[in-house]
Amino acid sequence: MKTRTKPRVAVVGTNALAESLREEISRSADAELVLWEELQANPNAPAIELVLETHNLDLKEKRTQLQLIERVIPRDCLILTSVLAVSATEAASWLTHSSRLVGFATFAPVEEKQLVELAGALQTDGFYVERARQFWLAIGKETEQVKDEVGLVFPRILAMIVNEAAFAWTEKTATAADIDRAMRLGVNYPDGPLAWADQIGLDDIYAVLRGLQRELGEERYRPAPLLRKMVHAGWLGKQSGRGFYRYE
Amino acid sequence: MKLKTIGVVGAGTMGAGIAQIIAQSGFAVIVYDLNESAVNRGIGQIAARWAKQVQQGKWTEQDVWAFEQRLTPTTDLQAFSDCHLVIEAVPEVLSIKEATFRRLAEICPAETLLVTNTSSFSVTEIASCTMRPERVAGLHFFNPAPVMPLVEIVKGLQTAKETVVCLEQFAAAIGKEPVVCQDTPGFVVNRIARPYYNEAVRIWGDQVADVAQIDRIMKKAGAFRMGPFELQDLIGIDINFSTTTSVHQGFFADARFRPHYLQQRMVQSGQIGRKAGGGYYRYEDKN
Repeated sequence: MKTRTKPRVAVVGTNALAESLREEISRSADAELVLWEELQANPNAPAIELVLETHNLDLKEKRTQLQLIERVIPRDCLILTSVLAVSATEAASWLTHSSRLVGFATFAPVEEKQLVELAGALQTDGFYVERARQFWLAIGKETEQVKDEVGLVFPRILAMIVNEAAFAWTEKTATAADIDRAMRLGVNYPDGPLAWADQIGLDDIYAVLRGLQRELGEERYRPAPLLRKMVHAGWLGKQSGRGFYRYE
Repeated sequence: MKLKTIGVVGAGTMGAGIAQIIAQSGFAVIVYDLNESAVNRGIGQIAARWAKQVQQGKWTEQDVWAFEQRLTPTTDLQAFSDCHLVIEAVPEVLSIKEATFRRLAEICPAETLLVTNTSSFSVTEIASCTMRPERVAGLHFFNPAPVMPLVEIVKGLQTAKETVVCLEQFAAAIGKEPVVCQDTPGFVVNRIARPYYNEAVRIWGDQVADVAQIDRIMKKAGAFRMGPFELQDLIGIDINFSTTTSVHQGFFADARFRPHYLQQRMVQSGQIGRKAGGGYYRYEDKN
């Protein structure tokens, strides 16, 4: 059997998720992290097999980035795009070669995740979904393939929990620390929703809610007032020193 | 105020669990239920758990003897006339709770704190049945009460600060971790936990993923101990649906809490979880 060389992978994005993916790929013996800036600067660099794209907050920018990526990479290069705020199908519609796009959904830090969700767009060729699965396996992640919808499963459910906690906090139902303690002790959550959101990045939580609100058109997904304002203020959690809590 | 004697109204699962933890913590407890058989059933449950814990080495026979000395059953609410704190744990029916508080307000001295273990009604509304709303609050235990560390102390609109302080001290004295919150529908935990079940059912209903996939994803991607569907099967889908419905009504039909017809169908089918031998999953008969 032919031994596969390890895939050359680039990560495009600036959120906590992108950082966390770069770290995870660097750690892996079965994938090689290529810096996107170097790839853009050097047209003679060896081709890459996979691009991970992680923009969530600003969909116009996501579209611009995906189209820019397509101009740099070979036409059969797999594009794994974060579908926290948009469906894979809509993201694929922005591409010239749409059949090679696969959506993925997870939150930072990726290191702690045992499993990552995948969803093909309506246009996706199954061959690329299989390649996407192989890539996650190579960096030690199980995958679960679900149908294409904004936020897929875990990010969607957790964003809704965080949003409810943020509403309760906005309304001063209880303090942030008490809300978190209540959820850890009352229903055994692995972390309090507000502290958890600070670690994920409030931008990505907000992106899921806005994406669901935009796509499904329902009041149900309206982000809590203080969550919205904190994202605009740049208080994104641990990464920016301030979120629901303050960090040194 | 020094709390020495505590009353518990209702010797069902919650009432018995609450009485047990209080007796273990050194307070005298009077447990009330409507008739001898109901109150004795509750006392029997407590005694059985203590007997088991003696075997497990958690307590000595002497410990349990002392607990039992502090535990008094009654079928007469007049027995609460010397209580410093009375905890109501009657069935979750507003008219029953209101009638209980009206009686307690007549029987107990004016300084006695009256608290409700309600999970779904407004503490403010229950407090308004008494002439002492400032001495009424919610004290919401989680099932099983002897095990779960959390209690929510719910401040009604008129609850006095001293009442809250006193309840915080009491919660600590019985080994619980108190969280103080406002009188909002579902308080903290039942409200914020709604999407874990409700959004999962919605995702399933929209055919984004199936029940087993969603459970696997929430455990392996989210590190939750149980998936939303296996957890509903454990709690009882009927209980879960009724909490969802009550929070939804409490927020005047806010779309965030809108229940899903699929969950209602599960309840209508009688396949309400483990206790029915099946819910979202099938369970082998373990009898």
